[in-house]
Amino acid sequence: MSIAVLRFPGTNNENDVVRALSLINGADPYVVPSRKGVAGLGKASGIVIPGGYSYGDYLRAGAVASVDPISEVVRDISEDGYPVLGICNGFQILTEMGILPGVLLPNKSAKFVCKWVHIHVSDHATMFTEGLEGGLLRLPIAHIEGNYYCTEDEWTALNDEVRIPFRYCDDVGEITEEANPNGSVYNIAGITNQKGNVLGLMPHPERACRQVLGSVDGLKILENFVRAVKC
Amino acid sequence: MLTKEESERITEVLQREPTIAEVAMIDVLWSEHCSYKSSKRWFYLFNTTGADVALGIGEGAGLVDIGDGYLVGVAMESHNHPSQIDPYNGAATGVGGIIRDVISQGCKAVGLMSCLRFGQLSKPHNAYLLENVVRGISDYGNSVGIPAVGGEIEFDDSYDENCLVNVACVGWAKSDQVVRSMAKTPGHHLVLFGSTTGRDGIAGVSFASESFSSEEEDNRGAVQIGDPLAKKILIDALTELVEEHLLSGLQDLGGGGLTSAAGELAAAGGTGVDIDLDKIPLREEDMNPSEVITSESQERMLGIVSPENIDRAILLLEKNSTPYGVIGKVTEDKYFTAKWEGEIVARIPIDLLVGGFPEPERVEGRIPAQTESIAWYTEPEDYQGLIFKLLESENICDRSWIYSQYDQHVQANTVVDIGENSGVLEFPNGRKIAFTSDCNSFWCLLDPQQGAANSACESLRNIVSMGARPIFIADCLNFGNPQRSESYGQFVEAIKGLGRFSHDFEIPIVGGNVSLYNESLVDGEIKRINPTPQIMIAGIMDKGFTPVRRNLVTPWANLFLIGETLPEINGSEYQRITIGQVKGAPPKYRPVVEKRAMQVILEAHSKNLIRSCNNVGRGGIAMALMKMVLHSNYGFKLNLDYTPGTAGSLGLRLFSETSGRYVAEVTESNQPEFFEICESYNIPVCEIGLTVTDQVADFGAFKIQIRGANKVFSRGLRKYLE
Repeated sequence: MSIAVLRFPGTNNENDVVRALSLINGADPYVVPSRKGVAGLGKASGIVIPGGYSYGDYLRAGAVASVDPISEVVRDISEDGYPVLGICNGFQILTEMGILPGVLLPNKSAKFVCKWVHIHVSDHATMFTEGLEGGLLRLPIAHIEGNYYCTEDEWTALNDEVRIPFRYCDDVGEITEEANPNGSVYNIAGITNQKGNVLGLMPHPERACRQVLGSVDGLKILENFVRAVKC
Repeated sequence: MLTKEESERITEVLQREPTIAEVAMIDVLWSEHCSYKSSKRWFYLFNTTGADVALGIGEGAGLVDIGDGYLVGVAMESHNHPSQIDPYNGAATGVGGIIRDVISQGCKAVGLMSCLRFGQLSKPHNAYLLENVVRGISDYGNSVGIPAVGGEIEFDDSYDENCLVNVACVGWAKSDQVVRSMAKTPGHHLVLFGSTTGRDGIAGVSFASESFSSEEEDNRGAVQIGDPLAKKILIDALTELVEEHLLSGLQDLGGGGLTSAAGELAAAGGTGVDIDLDKIPLREEDMNPSEVITSESQERMLGIVSPENIDRAILLLEKNSTPYGVIGKVTEDKYFTAKWEGEIVARIPIDLLVGGFPEPERVEGRIPAQTESIAWYTEPEDYQGLIFKLLESENICDRSWIYSQYDQHVQANTVVDIGENSGVLEFPNGRKIAFTSDCNSFWCLLDPQQGAANSACESLRNIVSMGARPIFIADCLNFGNPQRSESYGQFVEAIKGLGRFSHDFEIPIVGGNVSLYNESLVDGEIKRINPTPQIMIAGIMDKGFTPVRRNLVTPWANLFLIGETLPEINGSEYQRITIGQVKGAPPKYRPVVEKRAMQVILEAHSKNLIRSCNNVGRGGIAMALMKMVLHSNYGFKLNLDYTPGTAGSLGLRLFSETSGRYVAEVTESNQPEFFEICESYNIPVCEIGLTVTDQVADFGAFKIQIRGANKVFSRGLRKYLE
């Protein structure tokens, strides 16, 4: 199944994502530069929007990428129910496009933060967390605008529709204020859209796919993504 | 500014007065920064060769063979003066420049390091400089997508007016994809690409080759402005050009801009260049030819492209929306010719422009002799209090406030994050390479030769303790004004120290940079930085080896001290903390025992005998041991009544900074084999205690609670910055 890894000018995690997906049987990832537009995404049955600094992120992160003509195609594909995964800058872009609710504000510290974090996986099943429900994952984060914020109504919807698969927690799975690396509301690390086929998350699963790097927890998320693409 | 002697040389060679553009060009290329006119004469002291060296000093990056058809590339450089004036842009463009050096050799850039020096953070201006330098490095490196793999920092009043920002970049290339920095074939095109040319950074190298005066603000225009998005796009375009072998030569535009890049390409290839300045894409309209040809605008490269490849190269540049201009040709005449609106504005013989300066006379001042006496030393009354003070010292404490702002995991090759003895990256052939850098500027101040050599040993121990065998050195030598005998003496002595080390340990120096003029006039007095020869070492691990970290990992194992401890407390952090200054003869460089200790550790690692390992450096074994428990689940219980060597008191044993020592955690079953190795190299080894399940640091005579220790350790820098 063909998975398009979307590269805007300034995206810099595309090769990491391709390399991680290539570890999974049946995945056929390829990089699509955004300038290729509809033609580039035409055959994709799943899209990953990787991390980086799209268009330099000199404006608010993801803001320029979200008005790139290709964003219409991304919207169509996500509305058609194909799996879409936005990692870090990809998450920011998906919120800027309005495909996911809320925004990612500058970190509470106002500084870039790179570290290993733990995230708690919600008990509720999603296509991205099969077999991981209720578990604890260890993944790296690296961002300066990862402070998830949404309105009261959006929060109610996210909560009622159980669309918050990932929340920052400590090393035993407790969701605490100290374990929140960026000030996100309710320690949110990742959310899905209403249909459940679009996931945005700040931690980097592609950086935790080989034991030599210290964790393979990210691979489990990507394996679920690939399985969902195949369905 | 050109000296009278230099101006005379120019007129003599040209047989006429130089044009305005020619003066501007020669001024930048004969600056200390570009010409190494005070330093190059000493490089013969370095060991620069080795069986694995594929490309030594002289081009953008040094290249070293790591097997399976892969080379590792390295470059290291300073961006001190710009960072003092404009810390954010100065540091960012320092990172940008060093990345360019590595990618201009055909390498993929895979790791960044930064080695910093500031005045004490208790002065708000120093905290401002640090915060903005770190933000500059962070924004640029993170945007371009190159992980930080290491770095170090030190604080001292001598850096108040001259902060140091040294950056290093590592990369890799397949042997057949290396691009050389030379223009060998007349008729090939010169293609300038990556970004447009503007007025930023005009003659930046000239201002970096003088001491600061009170007119710092006037120099702001000499600081370049970085653009990481343009750099990322440049990297993408360059990768395609390199993969298709379209470049017959390449040089990045750094200090000295186009003059330096084109001049050096021609000098290396034995050719000349003919450049049409009107074809350079400009970002400002009313620039004059001198500005165009010496601008240091960032994110630019000069490629040499054969006529048969030019159409394809242009196609790739256009596809990536990279600004470019085909600005001229390589010629046979060995002249640098530049035209502007149809007229020749400069025509200089290449061998005059590049390296044709009259070598200036420099005088080496004598280094004052230092006493071995430690009469100032008094045994501490409160060991625990002193250990807390050392843990909180800005020169020892937790650095995570800095490195958590750097992306360390992008590219997904990071095996060991920053915060250990060295950072470790996995290379495409599966080999793990450790990177570290070190310099103890206090030792170098007291004895530049011993200090430089011993700083290199400290760097060496950082990689050895993790299980890596040294493969190359890169350096960045930061000193004061070479026209003053005192600072030139320091510089020459330090070079001798580093040279000795490189020969004694047979590690080739493959890259480096010299930054002089790091001094200022303050209230009529000269204030000079401590001599700061920054020494980066890379080491390779055996195939399949898992790096050994410093956190204790097993309860009921034994802790061993490898090497002798002497009463070498002069120049130590203990001395600095307790009497507020450093004085006396610093710890001695002992190549023979240092080498044997290295062999012990490497052999023990190759047999997987050591569970955790730390090298002994700043703050002595007290700090080495504390760093092994601060983030461990276990603790230790020690007996330090005796250690091999002549340190005669507990305080001396704890805080001496004698080189050639390691602390190793070895389980009982591995001990016979471990002792055998120590014995075979005739290195003293002493059991100093055992690991315990409680999180406690029990030194025998006193105990330290880990929680409290962690608190002071982590606030050392943060208390000034948050």
